[in-house]
Amino acid sequence: MAEQQHTNAHHHGDRHTHISRGTYYRVFVALMVLMVLTVAAWWVEKNLLHIPGWLAVTIAMSIAIAKTVLIVLYFMHVKISSRMTQVYAAGAFVWLIILFVITMGDYVARGWPPQPGPLP
Amino acid sequence: MATITHEEAHVHAHGPELQHQFETPEQQKEAATLGMWAFLVTEIMLFGGIFMAYIVYRWAFPEAWEESAALLNTPLATVNTVVLLVSSLTVALAVNAAEEGNKRRLLTMLALTMLLGLTFLVIKGYEYSEKFAHCAGAKDPISWITGSDLHESHECLVPGRGFLFPEEHGATGGSHGAAHTASMQSGHQLFFLLYFCATGLHAIHMIIGLGVMSAITIMALRDRFSPTYFTPVEIGGLYWHLIDIIWVFLFPLFYLV
Repeated sequence: MAEQQHTNAHHHGDRHTHISRGTYYRVFVALMVLMVLTVAAWWVEKNLLHIPGWLAVTIAMSIAIAKTVLIVLYFMHVKISSRMTQVYAAGAFVWLIILFVITMGDYVARGWPPQPGPLP
Repeated sequence: MATITHEEAHVHAHGPELQHQFETPEQQKEAATLGMWAFLVTEIMLFGGIFMAYIVYRWAFPEAWEESAALLNTPLATVNTVVLLVSSLTVALAVNAAEEGNKRRLLTMLALTMLLGLTFLVIKGYEYSEKFAHCAGAKDPISWITGSDLHESHECLVPGRGFLFPEEHGATGGSHGAAHTASMQSGHQLFFLLYFCATGLHAIHMIIGLGVMSAITIMALRDRFSPTYFTPVEIGGLYWHLIDIIWVFLFPLFYLV
């Protein structure tokens, strides 16, 4: 394990990848576009057409996740980091998903079909 | 003895920033980055608890969530989102400047980042004071401070005994009696409790982030960084980006319900 880690670190040193300033600007433009999209989607839902709540949440969360992926990969350099760092970064989100899925699995399964509302 | 001489030679070859327990600067940087990420994972789990509570109570009170979110100041929050995204760019550019050894650009970017961070906190502070001013019966924070135009409060969105959700916004309007109203308001109050906890904890992180950026600026002024050693800029930047990511989720979850 330690040996493998060492090889990775070494490999990373050799590779010496680098994210250019141009990429940062492009990622920033993408983030701004996504930000405008999420606000626009919300405005359309409130004023123009009525769509189900779960779909609105899915749209907003998909955009937030896309923004996060861009920030983590490019601004936080995970794309050019060592494997170990990538595993740590991914690990955080895996644990979050375990937390959410197990807890909400209980809430959703209390009534079938799932009924939002406080637990009896 | 021979080892000590060897180590000393090693230190001089790499400059004073290489700590004796590391063999190469790359190894030292890798350890710092990994350690920072381990810390960031615990931060994500800390906010994860708040997000978990949010999901549970939104599932429990979907209507209260929609009615409550309508009373938050979405235009100001949108401005704040832009401010934070720009600050993330300036941090990324600061790390880039440090990597290229451009001290002038590094200092400019750090100063811009801190300015944007302060702007965020000022806007956030205005949003909070709006809510507290309403509880005091004032129209806006300005008239609250000057003490003019005070009247009986008809809206108080700060959780606590004085919490009062305005009738015209509630679907359960027309109900009277304090006990009944209180139980009807529990969903709304939970929304604002989570709002203050989540954005408050985020604001505390922002203040710490400003402290980190100030420390890095002082280090940069003292010429501590070089193209081979700029780890504090890099991992300080990681912390700042994390604050940005938390806001990326707080914004749609609280303001765009």
